[in-house]
Amino acid sequence: MTITLTINGIEKKIGIAPGATLLEVLRHEGYVGVKSGCGSGDCGACAVLLNGRAVNSCLTLAVRADGASITTVEGLADGRNLHPMQKAFLDTGAVQCGYCTPGMLMSALDLLSRIPNPSDEEIREAISGNLCRCTGYVKQVEAIRAGAKAMRSERHD
Amino acid sequence: MALTHVRSVARPSTLGEAWNEKAARGEAARFFGGGIDVVLFTPPTVHTLIDLAGLDLRGVSQAGGGLEIGALTTMSDALHSPAVEAFANGFLCQVLRRVASPLQRNLGTLGGTIASAHPWSDVIPALLALDAELRIFSGESRSIRLEEFLADRAACCEAIIEAILLPMGAGERIATYQSFTRTAFDISLLNVACSAHVDQGVWRDVRVVVGGRPGLAARQTSVEVRLEGAKPADLDLAAVARDASEQVDVRDDIRASAAYRRTLVDTLLLRCLKVLGGGGNSE
Repeated sequence: MTITLTINGIEKKIGIAPGATLLEVLRHEGYVGVKSGCGSGDCGACAVLLNGRAVNSCLTLAVRADGASITTVEGLADGRNLHPMQKAFLDTGAVQCGYCTPGMLMSALDLLSRIPNPSDEEIREAISGNLCRCTGYVKQVEAIRAGAKAMRSERHD
Repeated sequence: MALTHVRSVARPSTLGEAWNEKAARGEAARFFGGGIDVVLFTPPTVHTLIDLAGLDLRGVSQAGGGLEIGALTTMSDALHSPAVEAFANGFLCQVLRRVASPLQRNLGTLGGTIASAHPWSDVIPALLALDAELRIFSGESRSIRLEEFLADRAACCEAIIEAILLPMGAGERIATYQSFTRTAFDISLLNVACSAHVDQGVWRDVRVVVGGRPGLAARQTSVEVRLEGAKPADLDLAAVARDASEQVDVRDDIRASAAYRRTLVDTLLLRCLKVLGGGGNSE
C-alpha cells in the first residue's frame, strides 16, 4: 500500500508493507538519524515529531502516519547552521555517544511547543521516555534549558 | 518490528463500515486506534488491521454536567484538556501523568487502553473509581458501565469503543490513586484507586478499586461496604486497610508474590483512605 508523508517539509509517496512501523519506513527512506533501539517504546531513541508531537516511531504503525507531517533530526538544521537546541546540546556537553540525542531533541522540541520556558521538573518529565546511558541526564536538562532560552531569544529578535 | 503477518489495512469511514469489516473477518482482524498495543501484542493469526482513525472519535466535551472523552483521544490530549483538569479536581490528569512516558501518551488513546484491558493499567482503576461508562458500537450504539464491559469481555471484545462517559456527579468526587512500580517507568505491581462523595463529613458512594492483583482491576465491594456511611475520624483506617489486604484476591506471578501484593494493598489503600479522609487529592 502507499502512504503520503511530509518528512522534514518534503512530501513523499511511499510504498509500505501494511504492518510496517514508522521507524522502519523512515530508516528505509534514509532517515537514519532516527535510531533503532529497544523496539518496544522503552528507550525513546526512535522518537520523531508526528504532527508536532514526539512519539516512539517503533510503536507507530506507518499507516497511522499517512498524511502526517514528520520531523526527524535531519530536518532540524538550516543548512550548516544547527538548530538552537542542537547547538545547546553540543555546547553543554549533553552529547556523549549520541545515540539518544535525536530522540532527546524531539522530546525537547515537543515540550517547548507547549511550554516555551519550562521548569527543570517539566524538562525531566518531558525526557522521561528517553534513556541515556552516558550522561546521567544532568547535561541534557541543562542543554534543554539553554536551548529553550536561545529559542525564546530567536523569536524576540 | 514490522507485523509481517498483516496483509491489509481497512480504513472505514463510518462505525457501520468498521463493524461490518470486523464481522466479515472475525478473529483474523483487529481494530486499532493509537496502535501501540497492536504493534506490541498482535497475534500472528491477525491478517487485517482496521484503522479507526477515520471515525470521528476524538475530543473532550462537557455534557449534562459530565464529561465525554472520545475513544481516540490520546492520553496527552486528555491530560492537557482544561475540561479533564477541572473534573474531579484533576484526578484523571494525576493518573494520566503516571502512564508510561510523554512519547507513548502522545500516541496511545484512552479507548485503546480500555480495549486492551491490561491488568497493570493505571487508567482503568481510575475510571472505575469515577463510575465511568462507555458508549460502544456493536451494530448500534449503546451505553454500558465500564465495570460491566470489563466483566463481560466475551460479549464486548468485538465492540468498538466510541467514547468514555464520566457521569454527572463524578466530578464532585474526592478521588485518589496510588501505585507501586519497581522503577518510575515500569508498569504497576499493584495499584489502588479510591473515590467518595463527602456529605457532611460522611463518606457516600465509596469506590475502592484494586488493579494489578495481577488480575484485571476490580472494585472491592466488601471494603466499600465497610466504608459506606462512615465518618473517617471514627474509623481505624489502618485496621480497614489491614483487613482489606486479607480479603482482596491477589496472586503470585513472575513479578511479585501474593504476600508482597497483600502488603502493597495494605500500604497503598491506607494512603488512599487518608487522602479521602482529609478531603484532598493526592497522587
